[in-house]
Amino acid sequence: MNNAVLKVSNLKTYFFTGRGTVKAVDGVDFELRRGECLCLVGESGCGKTVTALSILRLFDSPPGKIVDGRVSYDGLDLVKCPSKRLRQIRGKDIAMVFQEAQSALNPVFTIGDQITEQIKLHIPVGYARAKDRAITLLSEVGIPSAESVMSYNPHQLSGGMKQRVLIAMGLSCDPKILIADEPTTAVDVTIKAQILDIFRELKTSRQMSTIFITHDLAVVAEIGDRAVVMYGGKDVETAPVSEIIGNAKHPYTSGLIACLPDIAKSTGRLTSIPGATPNPLEMPQGCAFHPRCPKAMEVCSQQEPTETTISKEHKVNCHLYT
Amino acid sequence: MGKSWLRNYVIKRLIYSVIIAWGILTITFILIRVNPSSPADEYLANLAATGQDPVQVKAAIEARYGLDKPIYEQYIDYMGNLLQGNLGWSFSTSMPVTELIKKHWIYSFQLILLSSLFAAFLGILIGIYSAVKQYTKTDYAFTFFSFIGISIPNFWLGVMLILVFSVQLGIFKTYYDTTLSLFSIDNLKALVLPVMTLGTGMLAGYVRYTRSNMLDNLRKTFVTTARAKGLPERTVIGKHVFRNAMLPLITIIMFDLGSIVFGGAYITEIVFNIPGLGQISFNAIFANDYPVVMAVTLIVTFMVLLVNLISDITYTYLDPRIRYD
Repeated sequence: MNNAVLKVSNLKTYFFTGRGTVKAVDGVDFELRRGECLCLVGESGCGKTVTALSILRLFDSPPGKIVDGRVSYDGLDLVKCPSKRLRQIRGKDIAMVFQEAQSALNPVFTIGDQITEQIKLHIPVGYARAKDRAITLLSEVGIPSAESVMSYNPHQLSGGMKQRVLIAMGLSCDPKILIADEPTTAVDVTIKAQILDIFRELKTSRQMSTIFITHDLAVVAEIGDRAVVMYGGKDVETAPVSEIIGNAKHPYTSGLIACLPDIAKSTGRLTSIPGATPNPLEMPQGCAFHPRCPKAMEVCSQQEPTETTISKEHKVNCHLYT
Repeated sequence: MGKSWLRNYVIKRLIYSVIIAWGILTITFILIRVNPSSPADEYLANLAATGQDPVQVKAAIEARYGLDKPIYEQYIDYMGNLLQGNLGWSFSTSMPVTELIKKHWIYSFQLILLSSLFAAFLGILIGIYSAVKQYTKTDYAFTFFSFIGISIPNFWLGVMLILVFSVQLGIFKTYYDTTLSLFSIDNLKALVLPVMTLGTGMLAGYVRYTRSNMLDNLRKTFVTTARAKGLPERTVIGKHVFRNAMLPLITIIMFDLGSIVFGGAYITEIVFNIPGLGQISFNAIFANDYPVVMAVTLIVTFMVLLVNLISDITYTYLDPRIRYD
């Protein structure tokens, strides 16, 4: 694809701990196209966040290490490029918004300090211009009386406001790619709706490419263009969101969709996928999902499934379709 | 954010300080008079040789300094004088206590200042380095030496340093010359060993505190945010992590400045013969020179209280979440 702005291929990020090697990301492939919102979906511990952190090499190292794969951006391999070059990309070309706004802002600096710091780092402007820009951004993400909020410290803002500040900070240098790691998880439902609105508006107004990480398929349905479903550190199904919701192929994806509460036919208990996510130190042989899979076959426990093309835009890693 | 509440807070703290100082002075006053010996004792040995009657001499001396009055009257006299800024008369040096302190405080101040700067500066640097290089050989080495540093008693370290560097190697002389200026090369050289003696324990402590506070904060999400902004590691560590790690350190450094330093400085001044407040207070205790002991106690009390107040106020500026209401 020529309009891919970021391409992740066979990415493997392992954590070498005292108790063994955790293969947090174990061969992930996807591409992000210009102007689209790509969702990374999966349960906790499936490697979504580590995948996102690996793009900018932001995980703790040691113990983490990218052992294989490429992250191609703008003719560069971000896995191998010198850290000085990578720092120029961080926050400028590729920005990231973290999930817990509570702890993602530094408690001892003002909101203004924290936003202008990033602007001044990447754009040659003086303090006054950087400040104006920060105020504009804060208003853009729906913060009332942005000018006075500039001198606030994080503890004076609510969770939803902090999340907006983080988004404004992410946008501060007009990034080409925004990576949002569960920005709607730690906030309540009304704030969640407002934050999703912000992302929708940004998409139309800025034509920005976004990687949106979430475990919530309802959110995916609302703002995603395409989705990558992850399980056990691997991408198991990649398709446009309408396909994922309406025509899921992988039993895990179908399981996730079945878990969505449906008010129309509410009959009491919520559905869940039986079993739990595997222990990352002892990943099951073959397909990592087979112990929980309702359609597991013998081959599933022996051999890892390879990628099968369902249609041009729909790919799945499952033995059912080989 | 307005700091209008801070003024009331400071006034309240100052009032508390006066009450605390009064309590400490009263206790010291009583304790020191319980001692059966008298400041006149020192004269007696000399005067006995001249054939004068020791009992008469003692009575004369005690009458002269008001020591023959009942203890509560002496207490009221002392407090009354103190309120007028009069610290009394030093029996053993025959000069007003105020004069004596004016002459000697600067040497203590110099020693304490240099030791604290040495300990805080080096301790914080090594602590940061240790935290960033956690679990490397350098980190283990620093950890090992800081445990030794914390465990060594001051007076022993002082004597050992003199033995090795002055007696054996002859590198540093240990004679502080008050006729030279404070920061003359000779006096600075004479201060090297005392500063090491007083500073080593604190330095080792700061290494440990800085390291653990840095490690606590290095794991927080805002550090990843700072890196994601594209900031160089130097700024991430030196600004974002250190500003947070510094908060508990301020309390510890200030606390040391108030208490451990003044206590340790006593012993160090005596071991190295530095004519500071510790030295004169030490001499005064053996000469039963009550007013000097009281005055030095008063100064130390106020220094501890003042330094604590300063550290609390500093806190409100460094950590915007803190308010004292």
